Formats: sequence, structure tokens, C-alpha cells
Amino acid sequence: MKMIRNCAMALAAVSLGACSLDLQNPNSPTEGQVTSSPDGVIALATGLQGRFAQSYGNYAYMAGLVTDEFASTSAALISISDAEQGQVAPGTGIAENVFTSEYRTIRTADDLLTGAAALGNNIEPGTVSGLKALAFALKAEALGETLQEYQKLPINTLNVTQPVYVGRAEALAFVRSLLDSAANQIATTPPSTFFNNSILTPGVNLPNMVQIFRARYARIANDDAAALAAANLVGRTGPSALSQLTFPSPAVNFYNNVTGGTNGIAPRRLFRQSMLPQDLRASYFVVASTTLTGRLVTPLDTWNRYGSPQAPLPVYYPDEALLIKAEALANQNNLAASQAALDSVRTDCTGGRGLDDPKACLPALSDQLAKDQLIAEIYLQRRYELFGTGLRWEDSRRRNLVRGPVSAPSLPSDAQRCWLPYAIGDRNANPNVPADPVEPTSFPSGCPL
Amino acid sequence: MTFSYVRRGAIGIALALFSLPNLLSAQATGGSVRGRVTDASAGRGLADVSIVIEGTRLGGVTNGNGEYVINGIPAGNRSLTIRRIGYQPVIRAINVANGASSTVDATLRVSAINLNEVVVTGTGSPTERRKLGTSVASVDSSLISRAQATTVDQAMQGKIPGAQITQNSGSPGGGGISVRLRGVNSFISGSDPLYIVDGVIIDNGSAQLADLGVRSNPQNRLADLNPADIDHIEIIRGAAAAALYGSRANNGVVQIFTRRGTIGKPHYTYTSRFSQSQLREQQPFNFYPYNVAGLPSLRFNYQDNIFRDAPANEQNLTVEGGTDQTRYFASGNFSNEAGILRSTSSRRMGARLNLQQQLSQRLIGNVTANYIQTSNAVQAFGEQNDYGIMGSLFFAPTSVDFRPVNGIYPLPPALGTNPLLAIDRIRNPQQIDRFIGSTKLTFTPFTKLLLDYTIGLDNTGFEQRQFIPRNAVLGTSPLATGRSLSVFSTTRVINQDAVATYTWGPMGSLELKSTGGFNFTDQKVRTTTAQTTGLAPVGELVSAGSAPSAAQTEIELRTVGFYGQQELGWNDKLFLTAAVRYDASSTFAPSERWQAFPKFSAAYVVLDNRPGMLNTLRLRSALGWAGSQPGLVNAYSQYITFAQSPFAGRPGFVNDVIFGNPNLKNERAREWEVGTEVGFLGGRASVDATYYNRLVSDLLFFRPLPTSTGFSRQFFPIGTMSNKGIELLLHTTNFNTKNLEWGSTVTYTRNRNLVESLAIQDFQSAGGYPNRIRAGQPAGVFYGSYAARDCITGALLLDSLSRYRRSNNTADMGTTLAQRQAISNGTCNDSLVKVIGDPNPKWMGSFLNEFTIMKKIRLRALLDGVFGNDIMNLSTRAENAGIASNSKSYERELLPYGDPRKLPPTFNSRTQGIFEYWIEDGSFVKLREVSASYKFDMLPMRKLFADGVDLTLSGRNLYVWTNYSGYDPEINLFGTNAGGRESVQTTAADRGFDFGGYPIPRVWSLSAKVNF
Repeated sequence: MKMIRNCAMALAAVSLGACSLDLQNPNSPTEGQVTSSPDGVIALATGLQGRFAQSYGNYAYMAGLVTDEFASTSAALISISDAEQGQVAPGTGIAENVFTSEYRTIRTADDLLTGAAALGNNIEPGTVSGLKALAFALKAEALGETLQEYQKLPINTLNVTQPVYVGRAEALAFVRSLLDSAANQIATTPPSTFFNNSILTPGVNLPNMVQIFRARYARIANDDAAALAAANLVGRTGPSALSQLTFPSPAVNFYNNVTGGTNGIAPRRLFRQSMLPQDLRASYFVVASTTLTGRLVTPLDTWNRYGSPQAPLPVYYPDEALLIKAEALANQNNLAASQAALDSVRTDCTGGRGLDDPKACLPALSDQLAKDQLIAEIYLQRRYELFGTGLRWEDSRRRNLVRGPVSAPSLPSDAQRCWLPYAIGDRNANPNVPADPVEPTSFPSGCPL
Repeated sequence: MTFSYVRRGAIGIALALFSLPNLLSAQATGGSVRGRVTDASAGRGLADVSIVIEGTRLGGVTNGNGEYVINGIPAGNRSLTIRRIGYQPVIRAINVANGASSTVDATLRVSAINLNEVVVTGTGSPTERRKLGTSVASVDSSLISRAQATTVDQAMQGKIPGAQITQNSGSPGGGGISVRLRGVNSFISGSDPLYIVDGVIIDNGSAQLADLGVRSNPQNRLADLNPADIDHIEIIRGAAAAALYGSRANNGVVQIFTRRGTIGKPHYTYTSRFSQSQLREQQPFNFYPYNVAGLPSLRFNYQDNIFRDAPANEQNLTVEGGTDQTRYFASGNFSNEAGILRSTSSRRMGARLNLQQQLSQRLIGNVTANYIQTSNAVQAFGEQNDYGIMGSLFFAPTSVDFRPVNGIYPLPPALGTNPLLAIDRIRNPQQIDRFIGSTKLTFTPFTKLLLDYTIGLDNTGFEQRQFIPRNAVLGTSPLATGRSLSVFSTTRVINQDAVATYTWGPMGSLELKSTGGFNFTDQKVRTTTAQTTGLAPVGELVSAGSAPSAAQTEIELRTVGFYGQQELGWNDKLFLTAAVRYDASSTFAPSERWQAFPKFSAAYVVLDNRPGMLNTLRLRSALGWAGSQPGLVNAYSQYITFAQSPFAGRPGFVNDVIFGNPNLKNERAREWEVGTEVGFLGGRASVDATYYNRLVSDLLFFRPLPTSTGFSRQFFPIGTMSNKGIELLLHTTNFNTKNLEWGSTVTYTRNRNLVESLAIQDFQSAGGYPNRIRAGQPAGVFYGSYAARDCITGALLLDSLSRYRRSNNTADMGTTLAQRQAISNGTCNDSLVKVIGDPNPKWMGSFLNEFTIMKKIRLRALLDGVFGNDIMNLSTRAENAGIASNSKSYERELLPYGDPRKLPPTFNSRTQGIFEYWIEDGSFVKLREVSASYKFDMLPMRKLFADGVDLTLSGRNLYVWTNYSGYDPEINLFGTNAGGRESVQTTAADRGFDFGGYPIPRVWSLSAKVNF
């Protein structure tokens, strides 16, 4: 009798257990599982850096294509060669990719902020601090890259079903406040050794990265004092002065990945040919070609910098800080100091600072330049020093040098258009997307902000 | 009256309507009854009439002369029920005395309607047809066996009004068959009905475990069932009838009953069939002996090398028998079918044992066990353009010589592979090991109460392997270095059902029946994949590769339901039913999980088998709700999940770009139907007519999310869709004389599908294909570019070179609207793309005629037709793609100038951009089944085999009347494979795409059947 009762109870227990309808998904972890455990949150930080590498690549690719940096290769789709001439239709894949990937980075950064906050005291404060600073910095940069390609953009997107677009001034202020949060976080609670060694991608220096981002967006906001202050905080020597993302096999560097195939682009030969012949930055970035041409028979060179699939991708070049500093000083009419900063970029030679960054190895400027000349020279050096970083487009905009669509075989200079059309992927599901911005009709031009 | 129903119900659980014995174990006591049953009008003896002694488990079946004998009947007043399909049953009272023999002869009148037929599916407990408010279709074993079909669903083609049963592929082993009952009712989960075998929910998945043409048509697993094991099939077509199946029943339910065995000595039947399949007709290709430069060009027709006449054979042995305590049915079958496409084949072996045992006075146990092993050799089709054979045939120019040189097969210039190489070297073997078993206990503690418990298991192990040698694929992708793949997938479905039925008659002519039930289903699918590229020159296993990778997935789905039903009968004329199922599935969010699915129905029998012109009239109406669940691929859509995303050599997570829906709930269909059954002309004709109206709301699909949220889409209720239609079934007995019987069956189906509303923008239904889900249009309409026409004359607009103008091309139509309108002479071409066709048929119908001559010869022919549907012929389009230039119409481009048939240069490459150009009328009538049987029962034969030898010569799909130019109007790229995501997104609405499918063969077969 007892046996029967036991069996009945066991049977009941088994069948009730089998009846549970709350089944876990064994194939992918849920939001709760990832954001509530230290290991999950740490993995999220790695995922964020991976997404950042992708969105940064998409942004720089697009900016290079609508300026005088890149052109389509012969295998590329027609939309790539259209963009190279300044034509980007709404819904074009490469433009959608910019917007989609930037906001995926932003969402992952938001997830990381949520996760880091939820960890509380389960993990050492320096690690939490590092996670938060990383999330603030990469979210800010992703938004900053977006505002360099879109006239308006949503800045408040977490758990919002239909995000609202705001103008550049508001977005820029938001980006800078995020970067200030990152800087404060690092200053208040320095990131732990564990964070720096095991979470941050090897080769990235978080404090330097935050400061150069602060300088970059202060400059875009015409805040010379803040730009100068932040630029001065960027380390200039030693390997830690350079932050770059690494791609151990089987991962492939972004530029190497788009060299061939239907999204193929390559540096315009014009980039090298417009330099002084002795400028070493040409051979740093490209391998000279006399034969390679693109889809529109544009003369091209091949990559040297990204020739290897495993070549690291710099998050920034440290000399950007010097160029920002030079520009801020010039704007403050401190012309001698400005020229000195500029010359330190011009005269950077192999071995000079021990970094794998572009080195012009040119002579110093002989005479003190006037302010306008200085600014023009700064932008010339930015063109060569910051090749492929995406900053060229904003520089053209800032200098009112958008020159409109250029039909092949003519070669563009500066930039061919002002903004990207808004993403169809957003427009299809979000009534708050504004009408596409109107491109200027007479050139050279600045851009309606 | 009531009691007899209960008793019949109790027995009916196990016995319902099955043929009863023709021989009885002799018993010492009791009396016997003998007699002869004849046809009332023709006067000839009727075979296969079942005679049941009510209140006992005794009975018999008449022989060829209509004679029967039943021994061992307990003495007393007994009631004999005499039944035969197609005849009005008769009940006779007799008094049986111990040791005495009495004679009961009967004449049966033809009656096309039998309202006393017992139906089990969707009714809670066995219920006579007269009481149902819904229509239930049934197909009996003779219709299945006479179809000479490879699979059960093939055998159902053309038999069921309201069902569109499409053989999407001609590959051996039945092809991939899809069944749509009353139209497309869902975009997810394939829209195929729920399949139940002897009370066990079975897996009818169409898993494609290797890339065999991502969305093409893998065999659906119903193909594992042996048609010879089947006794009959019940089909309920919609929500009103299927409410008791809850959140899975929106697409209808098909319940298959296997044979149970008859009382008597072991009775063996052996059937042997030999078949020959062949390609119905070749496609025309460009065989013009000159190339575009006017130089001589050798052309090749590779259809001769790809296709073959393919033999098949099938052997079936069954044995059945039993005593009044035990009944058994056992079968073994073997079939081996070669495909008309070289290197393809299908082999099936199976064994079944069905056992029924009277465990005590009130307890009956039933056990079924069925083991199947299916082995297929398949090849890639459809969208597979790297190594798919048909794709390669269409894409490769006919000027390419594919014959091997020094043992090396040359590859085509642009796309695909060498089809001869694929046939010779590429291997895609599949092996399916499957067990379906069930145990059922029926307990009648007292006559009014019936308790029923069933537990069933369907366990399928599926192994898919693939071997693609080095250098079999163009290009530099890793695939060109060869691929070896091995996938193991097991699908296990466990099903438990418990039902209690209480029948009582509180007063007079009022009869009440209360039913309560419980159901639990657990489905678990586990898949492990190992694959590699970079194969060594020798060796076909994954270990022969240099770049191995592995993957693993697990999916589990559980559904629980409780239901209650109350039936009320008055005077055996009026029947009312109300029921509700309360249902929950693990796939839905906890907050939305429990859903109620009610149904209400009424039936009124106005006339029941009266003599005269109008014999039977019954009216019925029903209203019910049912749901559907996401398929396996979307089973975990309620969860917000993260995806693996390693970076810089470290493990990483990122949020999945498909956003979970924490409020996910089931689709919900509301359906009402009204119908009638009319018997007239003295039982010689009957009509079963139904009008139905179904509205599915909360249709689940992916809605786009703003990309600024960081997500791309979410599984969400996106709209509503309706299906309205008419189903007619007409039976007639045209001749019924001593030496000739001629009966006809006509089915007619008309369905109108409409996407009523969409909460999102209209969207491409099959990712990458020009079809649409669009509000105000039928689901899956073709939508794309068209050839612009003159708005005044309606004539096609041609450019200066006499080529069509593409509606969406600025070179053809100008860049501004003003330019378009100027070219068009009006506004008729304003839109760049439009609805250009509809793959949904306007109507479908079938016409079956059966003749029996001199009781020895049987002739039958089934015509099956689909009308008013469009097909997009992407196969022929592929013939014109790029450098292929394979089509017959490309030949006309090569003709010399001055030839009136000459087409301008680039005419064909331009039609690539006009999807309207590839739309054709897909209407067809197929000679689906035709057969002639002869019974050899002369004396020498009968010495060997008691009933002689039945020889049947039959044909399947022998002839097709159609204007469609492709291989077959029935094949469809997306038939059985709905549910893919992202780039392989596929919905149940994707129909009418012909793209590199496996042509459906014409099959001749000769079979012999003997009993001993």
C-alpha cells in the first residue's frame, strides 16, 4: 500500500514537473541572464567593443566615400559608385548600415550601463567604474559619429518605441555630457587592473580615448578652451598613447573586409598624389599602384595600413590631439604656439615617438603663418594625418567646402554632399523621422545644420 | 435508444465502423445466424457487408455472393445491424436459441449519405455524424489503397473538398506535400494541419538539415506512414470543428486511423507493386546551332543525361485476426523507389503491430507500435545555385560541354555546377529512424460513463549527411574546397489525452452528453551539426576536412489543455453542442498563455432516409474559435535574448537584433459555417455543401522596429486575414445493375483569401521574391515590375529597339512623373511596381468515376484540377539570366535579321527586369489516378488463394491539361518550408513560384494482391 502511495506521489511529481510551461531557451541567454551576472556583463563589454568596431568602420567607410578619400572598386555595387559621386538614395545599404550599426552600438552600451549598475557590490568598484566609463565613451562616440553624418538624430532611444530626432546642438551637448561622465567616472574611481587587462580590448587606453573624444567634440562645438584642455590630457608618448582595436584571427579588420566584393572600396590615388613627394604618410597608408582602377575607372591605390586581415584599427591617431590643439590655439590667436603644435605633427619622423602612427617627416614650417593660413595648413595636415578615420567629412563641412556631386571621371576634392538621407529602416517604423535634409544647390557650400 | 448509443460509443472507441469478422472461432454453446445480403435494386449479392450482433462483440462480413454466417451467439432476443458503405443500414431483430440456426436475409438500399457514421475527430468522444454541427470529411481505406500512391497525403489528393493538397516536388518518397485546408490561415508554422495518428499527435515537419536549396521542398514526415496500414482518415477543416484542439487547430486537423484487425483466423494479405516513373515532358531549350556572333555553336540537351525512367517496387504483407478478447493487425512493408532524376532515390521499410485486448469486462486496452526506416538519396534543388542540379541546368548555357575530360568535369562559366558532376559525385543521403507508438485504455465503469486515456510517442531520428567534393563549385568560397556535413536531429513528441464522457437521458426524447478532457503535448527537437570545408582528396567524412565547425540547438514546446463539452439531443432530430477548450502553450508569454476557445453548433435532421425523390435532409451550423502557434524556428520568440559575439579573441554578448515579445500570444481564428447534407433520387445521389467564413486575427509575424532602437524586428500580431468559401461534395450512383456499377464523385472548392488589415507596411512575403502580404489583397500576391502599356490603347509600350519598357526603370520610363506620363499617354503607369498576379486558385475541383463490371473488373479515373491561379516561372527566367541564354525565346534573338520571328538584341535580358513577363496561368487538370483491376478467381487460382488474385494496372499523373509552360504547374519553390527567418524568410502564403524544382513524374504501376 505504501509502495503504491509512493509510486503515485512520484508519478504526480514527475507529471507536474513535466507540465511546467516556463521553458528556458537553451540556445541563447536572456536579457536577465546576461545583465545580472558579472560574467554576462563582462561579455557584454566585449560585445560592445565588437559592435563599436563595426559601427566605427561603417561610419568611416561612408565618410571616406562621399569625400575625396575612397572610391569604389570594380566589383562594387552601383550604389557604392553612386555614393562616391555624391549620390546616396534613401535606403542605400551602405547608408543604412551606418545608422543601424551605430544604434546597435548605442543599445549595447545602454545594456552595459544597466548591467554595470545592477552588479552593485558583486564586483570590485574599479571594474564597475571601468565598465561604465567604457559604455559612456563608446555610446558618446557612436552618437558623435552619427551626428557627423546625419543632420538630426535621436539621442534618447533606450526603451523608447518611437525615438524623437533632435538637432545637432542638442545632440552635441548630449555627446559631450556623456564623455564628461566617462571622464568623471575614471577620475573618481580609476578602472581596476582586471578591467584594463581582461575587459578592455588589448591596445586600447581608456583615459586617452575619453580625452581625445572630449577634445574632438569640443572642437566640433567650437569650444576652443575645452578642446585645448582635453587635447592636453591625451598622452603623447609610449605605446599607451595609441588606442587601437585588434583583430586576432579569424576576425578580420573592417577595411580589409571590404576591400574585395560588392562593397569594395580602395584609397583614391589622388590621396597619395596630392601630397608632397617626401611625405612618408603616403607609404604608411597605401601601396602605390599605377594600374588599379575602380568601377568608374577612378585611379586607385591599395591599402598598406590595412593590407593584413589582422591589422589593428586605430580608435584615433594621437596626433589628432595636436591638430585639435593647434586649431584651438589659432582660434585663440595664439599663433606661435599653434604653429609649434602643427610643426610637431609635420616633423614627426620614424621612431620619433615610438608609435605606429602616421609620420609625415616633413620639415617644419619656415615662417610664422597668418591665422587663416594656419587654419588651412591644419586642415591639410588633418587630411593626411587622419586618413580613413571619417573625420574628413566633418572637416569639409566645417570649412564650408562641400563641393556637391562630382561625376566620374572628374575627381572630387573635399566632400560631395552634406548629409545622409535618414534610414529607411527607422522611417518604416518610426513616424518621428524628419523629412530628408535638402542638399545645397550652389557650391562650395557649408551645410544647413 | 440512449443506451444503445452509449454502448456503441464504448465499443466504438475501439471498433468504430471497422469491418468485423467473416469467420468465428467455434463455440460450444449459443446459436448461429446465416443469410444473404443483396442490393435492393440490382438484386446481386453484396460483398463486404458488415453484420454486427448488438450488445456483443460478435459479427461477420459477407463474401462475394453476399452470404454470411455468425456462430456462437448467446441465446436470447438479439438485434442485428447490417451495414455497408454507400448503403442505408438495416436493423433486424431475431431470437437466437442454443444450438439452433436461423436465417436473416436482407436487402440494402443505396444511400449516398450515412448519418449514423461515427466520427471521433474534434468531437470529444465518438459521435454520430447526424449530431455534428460541422462538416467532417472522411476518406476510407479503399480510396487510399486504390490511389496507388506512395504517401498518405498523395492518396488524399482530389478527395477532399476544401483542401488544396499540393505535391510541391516530384522527388522520390512522395515529394514535399503541403495541405492547406480552407486557404492560407497563418503566415507562420506552415499552415499545415495538425496530424494525429490513432490519437497521437505526430510530427509532420519538413526539416532541411543541410542546404538542399534553402527553401525548397524537403519530404514532409507524413511520408513515413505506410498507406496500406490505414483504415480511414477524418479531416476537420477549420476552427469551428477543431476548437477542442485549441491553440494548434486553426489550420484544421487530420486524424489517421490505422487498421485494427478482425475477429477470426489469421488472414494474410500480400500486395506487390512494380512501378515505372518517367519525366512527363522535357523543357524546350535554346538549341540554335549558331551563337550571338553568328558562328556555329554546338548545343547540348542535358535533360537526357539528368533524367531517367526510374523503377520502383513496393511489397506489403499484412496479417490480421483475433478472438472476441484479442484482436491484432500486423504489417510489414518495403518500398524502394528510384527518382527520375539520376542519383535520387527513396527507400522505406516499416513494421506495425496493433493489438487490442479485452482486459476485463469493462476495460479494453489498445497498443499500437510502428517502426519506420526511411532512407533517401536526395540532391539540392530550387534556390541552391551553387550545387543544385536543376538550377545548374537552367543557368548553364546549352553551349557548354559538361562531359568529363580525363575524368574531370568542367564547371559552368558563371553560376551553378556541372549537373553531371553533381549526379556523379555530390551525395546527400538521409536516414530517418522513427517509432510511433501508443497505448490506449478504455474503461466503462458503468454504461453511461466512458473513460478514455491515451499516451503516445513519436520519436524520429533524422540523420542528414552531405558530401561535396573539392572543385565541384565555382568560385573561391570555402565551398569550392569541398564540404562534408553530418547532422543528427531527433524529434520527440509525447502526447497524453484523457477524456470522460457521461451520457444520460433525464426525460423522454431528451438526450444529454457531457464530455471533459485533458491533453498534454511535449515536443522536443535536438539538432547537432558537424561540418567542414577544405576536404582531403580522399575521404567523405567530416574528419577529412581542414576547417571543421559544429553547432547545436534544442527546442522544446509544451501545450496543455482542458476542455468541457455539453451536447443536447432532442428526439434524435435536433442536436445542440457547446464546448470550450482552455489552452496554454510554453511558447507564449505567461501573461497571455491561457486562452479559451469556445464552440457552438446546432444540427437538425429534417429527413432521414425516407423513400422517394428526397430522402435525407440535414441542416447544420457552427461557430468556433481556434488558435495557431509559432513554428519551431520562432518557438522562443517571447524571450529578449542575447547573441554570441566574440571580439578580440574573447567571448562576448550583444543584444539579439530580433527583439523578443514578452507579451506574445497566439493567433486566433473565428469561424462560422453553415451546411447541409441532402440525399435524393432514392439514395442514388447526395450533396454535402458547406459555406464557411473564417477571420484570423492577431496574425503573428515580424514587425519592423525602428532601427534607432538598436533592433530590427519583433514577432508581433500584425494583422487580420479572412478565408471565405464553399465546399461541395456530390456522390452519385449512375448505374447499379447486376453486372455494372458506376459511381461518380465530384468535389468543388472555392476559397477567397483576403488580408483584411495590416498594422505594418505591406511586406515581401518570401524574402527576396516578388510577392507581398498586402492589405486588401489575397495573401502572397505577386507584386513587382511590369511592362508599361499605352494608357489609351492598352498596347505594350516598346522602345526604339522594339523592347518592352520596364515600369521601374528610369532609362525606359524617364526620371520624372511627367516624363512617365508623357511616355504612357496617361497615368496608368504611375506606380513603379504593382500587383501582377495571384497564386491563389479561384476554384478547385475533382471528378472521380468508378466502374465495376461483372464484379471482376474495376475501372476508375480521377481528374483533379486547380483553376485561376498564377505561377511565376522563374525557371525560364533563369534560362535568360546573365550569360545563360538558354531559353527558347533567346533562340529568336539569334535568328538572322529579316526572319519574322526575330527578337531584337537584349530583348531577353531586358525581360529579366519585368516580373510580370514571367507570370503564367497555372490552371491545370491532372489525370491524377487511373486504374484497371481484374480479379482472377477461376478455380485453379482459388486453390492457391481463397479470394483469387487482384491485378491492377494503374497510372498516376499520366496526363496534364495546362497552358503552363514549365515542367509542372503543381511544383512550388516554397511548399513545405514556411517559417524561415531573415534572408530565408518564408511564409505559408508563398505559392506559385517555379524555380528549379524537381519535376513531378508520370508513374505507371502494376500491382497484385492476394489473400490467404
